[in-house]
Amino acid sequence: MNTISQPAPRTDAAAATSSAADLAHLVQPAAAIAPDVHVLDVGERILDAANARFLSLPIVARGLPVGAISRSELMRIYLMPYGRELYGRRPISAMMSRRPLVLRIDTPIDEAARAIAAHIRNPITEDFIVTSRDGHYLGVGAVLDVLRAVEDKLTRHGAELERAHARLKASQLQLVQSEKMASLGQMVAGLVHEINTPLGYVRNNVEMTRDAMNDPTALADADTREDLATLLDDTLHGIGEIGELVGNLKDFSRLDQARSDRANVNVLVDGALRIVQHLVRKRGIEIVRHAGEIPDIECSPAQINQVLLNLLSNAVQAIEHDKGRITVRTQALDGRVLVLVEDNGKGITEENLSRIFDPFFTTKPVGQGTGLGLAIAHQIIEQHGGLVRVASKRGTGTRFLVALPIAQPKVPTR
Amino acid sequence: MSNALPTVLFVDDEERIVRSLRMLFRGRAEVLATTSGRQAIEWVRQRRVHVVVSDQRMPEVTGVEVLRAVAQHSPATMRILLTGYADLDAVTASVNDGEIFRFVEKPWDAQHLIGVVAEAAAIAEREFAAPARPALRAVEPPAAKMLVLESDGAIAAQVHELLPSAITIRHATSLEAALDVLADEDIAVMVAELTSAHGDVAASLKELKRIRPALLAIVISPLRDSRVVISLINEGQIFRFLLQPPVRELLRRGLIAALERHAELRSVAELQHRHTVEPSREPNTTLSGRLARYWQRLRGSALGVRAG
Repeated sequence: MNTISQPAPRTDAAAATSSAADLAHLVQPAAAIAPDVHVLDVGERILDAANARFLSLPIVARGLPVGAISRSELMRIYLMPYGRELYGRRPISAMMSRRPLVLRIDTPIDEAARAIAAHIRNPITEDFIVTSRDGHYLGVGAVLDVLRAVEDKLTRHGAELERAHARLKASQLQLVQSEKMASLGQMVAGLVHEINTPLGYVRNNVEMTRDAMNDPTALADADTREDLATLLDDTLHGIGEIGELVGNLKDFSRLDQARSDRANVNVLVDGALRIVQHLVRKRGIEIVRHAGEIPDIECSPAQINQVLLNLLSNAVQAIEHDKGRITVRTQALDGRVLVLVEDNGKGITEENLSRIFDPFFTTKPVGQGTGLGLAIAHQIIEQHGGLVRVASKRGTGTRFLVALPIAQPKVPTR
Repeated sequence: MSNALPTVLFVDDEERIVRSLRMLFRGRAEVLATTSGRQAIEWVRQRRVHVVVSDQRMPEVTGVEVLRAVAQHSPATMRILLTGYADLDAVTASVNDGEIFRFVEKPWDAQHLIGVVAEAAAIAEREFAAPARPALRAVEPPAAKMLVLESDGAIAAQVHELLPSAITIRHATSLEAALDVLADEDIAVMVAELTSAHGDVAASLKELKRIRPALLAIVISPLRDSRVVISLINEGQIFRFLLQPPVRELLRRGLIAALERHAELRSVAELQHRHTVEPSREPNTTLSGRLARYWQRLRGSALGVRAG
């Protein structure tokens, strides 16, 4: 907080500090009136052009403010029958308000505004007196100036807030994007391995077959011919596998679909299961699939895929033992399609359970989870007018339930 | 080398890969093949295996785990990773834990794979025939010299702190200075900071291995790129790859292991063959001309500890 260390010379009070946060820049020099000055003389002073901008004038004795006299009070006196005659010769101390609002020069604007609101009545008839930090009179402050200063400050803060909000929004978008890229990267890494494995033996088998065809003695051998037949069967199998993997990827990555598309969640679940298949198989996890009769729903299939993939890969990651089982159940209920994903993994502590949908909350080591997967899933489900519930028990497993409406309630905003 | 075929063991959880490889090496090797990493380790314990070729991603046991167990039970067996995809963790583990000879990617080139396996088998055969490795305890406590190549002194300071004072540590802030030191002094282990994948430092590490197989390199790098590490394995046979900033304990263990290995390599020259590198595949890793003078000096230097 900016303050002045000395009682500033009256006329320089405003210049003594440049802070916009306190009263220093609002204080206006006004010649103080001694308590024994007559009411009539005060009346003259208040009519003086130099004082035209003040609602009230300060009464100061020995440098300390003792009261204030307002324009409206003087008017009241003057308007009384014989008011001038009755009171004109009295000292102003008899007529002044003895409890003017006095604020130290280092009072923050906000605090000044609060004090003014508490002190001043409607209509506003008084300004306030500004003193140095040790209570000596410095000048007068206008209520309106404080209001303007407060408003300026709010506007400035508003602009700052808006900028901060814009920055946050941009970085959130970036994070959502990087979460997408992270899951995509994980998926691609798995798929690259899945594709390169069949590609490895397909290429090798084809090369060996070609070489054998150029070798009449090899072809004459019955055993070799049998071996080659096996290699070619393997090759066809491998090509089928590659084709299937690429097909899954193609279905999965159709990010251009609109929310208003219709899709069957069973189809989406099966597609997501195929994508995580390599993870599941490597860890020897059993998949139990109960596909109920469900109608197509209105949704963005790519987004629902993202949700399913997230739930499934979380389920896989939660399983740390070798008897892993993931149950995926779908069914229709009351105009909704329910998807249940249940694992028998390590479970989530009660403390963490309340936070799993919070953005950036993750229990994974640094660099391995963005903490956005479930937050995004939650958002997608909400945007679809659906809901997600979770139940978990340490050491037993976790169950996610997603409910999606069959028809979208209203036209999506995007 | 004996006329008997070398024994080559293939491990891959996809049986069709195993079948295909068995076929490819028919008549070229005594082939053992399995889809189980545990079975592979068991075989290596029971019999003499020249080369193990393993996949990385497998259920139960990963390829690096298989190769680490192989190195433990049969250090002379050459280790090759054959995999469709490996993230940085797997690749660094294959250097640091598996101490592999080559990293081969699927889909492989048949002639290349045959060549790599044959080369590895020949090295293993020579090693099996060589005098027994000295037990580690018998290795002289090395009064060896170490060279740290880095722009500032942070790593050199850490190396100083981690090693006994008997070991001389040279610090070079430029590649030229490092090559000068290498020409003049008998350096056992080089710790190099690698900040660019294609610069002279990467190329020099590869070239140095060709000239001085007994010189062991510990690379410290911020580059999180598995391709870089794979090329440093195949073409530079680096001893360790650590991400910057290095984990203290990993650096300490790497330094000690390198000094011990260097002592081993000097006492049994045959062992140096396992550090044979393959020619660089990237044209842009060739050394810039400004270093020619240094290399001439280095190659002419009598300090190179050559096999034989």
